[in-house]
Amino acid sequence: MRKRLDNDRTRKVLTGSQLIIPLFLFVSTGTMSDFAFAVDRAEAEETARLLAKLLQAGRLVIDQHQALIDDPRKGDKGFTPEVFERQLIKEFRDKTGIDLSTLATTPTSVAIPPLAKELLPALVQASKEVVRDAQVVINQRGIGYKNFIPATYGSQAATRFSKKSNVRLKQTTLQPRNPKNEPDEYETSVLKWLAGRPRAEAYVSELTEQGRTLRVVMPIYYVGDCLKCHGEPKGDLDISGYPKEGAREGDLAGAITVAAPLDLR
Amino acid sequence: MSGMRGRLCIVVIGLALQGCGLIVDVVQLIRPVAADEVQTLCARKKLQVGIAVEPFRPFIFPATFTDEGLRVTGMDVELIQEITSALSKHCGDQPITPVLQLVRYRDLFVLLNEVKLDLFVSATSANVPVPGRSGLAYSIPYFYDGGIGGIVARPEVSDRVRAQLRGQSEQLDEPAVLRRVLAGLTVAVQEGTSAQFYAEAHLTGIKLVLCDSLPAAFESQEPVIDVILGNQPVLQYIVTRVRKSWQQLTADGDRPLLLTREHYVVVMAEENYRLRWFVNGVLFRLDESGRLAEMRRRWVEETYAYPRRAASEGLPFAAENMAQHYDQGTCRGRSRL
Repeated sequence: MRKRLDNDRTRKVLTGSQLIIPLFLFVSTGTMSDFAFAVDRAEAEETARLLAKLLQAGRLVIDQHQALIDDPRKGDKGFTPEVFERQLIKEFRDKTGIDLSTLATTPTSVAIPPLAKELLPALVQASKEVVRDAQVVINQRGIGYKNFIPATYGSQAATRFSKKSNVRLKQTTLQPRNPKNEPDEYETSVLKWLAGRPRAEAYVSELTEQGRTLRVVMPIYYVGDCLKCHGEPKGDLDISGYPKEGAREGDLAGAITVAAPLDLR
Repeated sequence: MSGMRGRLCIVVIGLALQGCGLIVDVVQLIRPVAADEVQTLCARKKLQVGIAVEPFRPFIFPATFTDEGLRVTGMDVELIQEITSALSKHCGDQPITPVLQLVRYRDLFVLLNEVKLDLFVSATSANVPVPGRSGLAYSIPYFYDGGIGGIVARPEVSDRVRAQLRGQSEQLDEPAVLRRVLAGLTVAVQEGTSAQFYAEAHLTGIKLVLCDSLPAAFESQEPVIDVILGNQPVLQYIVTRVRKSWQQLTADGDRPLLLTREHYVVVMAEENYRLRWFVNGVLFRLDESGRLAEMRRRWVEETYAYPRRAASEGLPFAAENMAQHYDQGTCRGRSRL
């Protein structure tokens, strides 16, 4: 599935199962230099997809524990970095079939390229650090809402990971509550394009900067729990004091974006 | 013989020390030794500030997780930023970093006496008689017209209190009136605050409950709290934004009932005269320029999302120390019947 944007760029929308087909095409039809480029791109693309999936899994784990985190009657929540890590690994395995706990001994393959083997543990570590640092806030007794939510977790984990790697991981949306999540020009164009399409388990992958950087945009859609803060009635203040967006289930919430330079190694 | 040796030693030491005064002068010229606590702060480049870990919204909001990390925000935090900003200018434009210690309100006084804090800011009243609190000094006020107010949750208690207040012929803020109105009720106050000292001084015939924090008072089931007394601006914020099922005690219709008139101040050690002059100067200029009024409007009257403010203008804090304090605690009964 392709959508022509302009003369120089091609936007690809891929699902996980479709990924193998373009990969194969690159490998089987390219020249020698094209072959190297294609493999690099494919590796970066699959790594980016997995990174986005892992961040999404972390957000889901936080979401699943939101009631516990916000329970004012409970002090020590037992939601330690280790507990979080176990659930993150499980969630990621359920979504991708990849077991991060045995990643070091898993042979490199198309499904788990070398770059992903290097970067996925780094994102797990960054995510654990976020949960570790949040312990004093999470374990406050007598305080309900603590603003430790999927979005703030995701921002911190992405920022920490990005500082330690050459890959830029980010959450963004067209109406960001956090100015730091403001989409850049490219992200804005993709988000607007995605907003006009029906919900799909797909992502956008595109080469930018004259082919030097691969951008991957994985959309996030609103589900039931999100609507407590982002749903109707529009303009009413949510628990944190932000005006609700008036969103409905299935609407585009935003995206996890990955920018990976193709000369990573 | 040994006596001779001893005297000789003293003479030698005396001769050797003759130039020491000059050496001290030279050292002072090259690297001046701090003459007062403000200069000490300039040399240290850090201001150790205490702040209550219990939320005193809108002065102090609960410690929150933001996209920037852990932050605390509120009017008192903005004031700390104003003080450190002025200190930075005073110290020759070298940045002075505020190091926030979030501890229980009552422990702020202990830490200040142990010289572990330079000052603390937590909606503390300067004009309430407190027994046994010494070694402290207060700045000029940064928040005027605070005071002790009360809130109730159960409608029957609210109705009873309102009916009794209406039936009084005396001034409603007279302690005797409140004593009669609240008689037999379970009244919670936060330990160490002026509400505790007011209740202990004036309110007999109640069941007084000391709580570690306001959240602990709201949670208390044994005993169930009838009335919470505390800082009126804090209680007003809570009942209008956080716990809308609670109502303020009012007099003459909607006017909140105030039991005292209090002004909130910055607290420092008694002997830190220079620091007090400095802080007073900062507060005076903020007041004169209208900044204090603007801060009050921003935090007390405006509608805002505090997590957003925490992210954009909040301050980080020493999380390792907070771990001992973040539990909002419990309540303990103290009969006053």
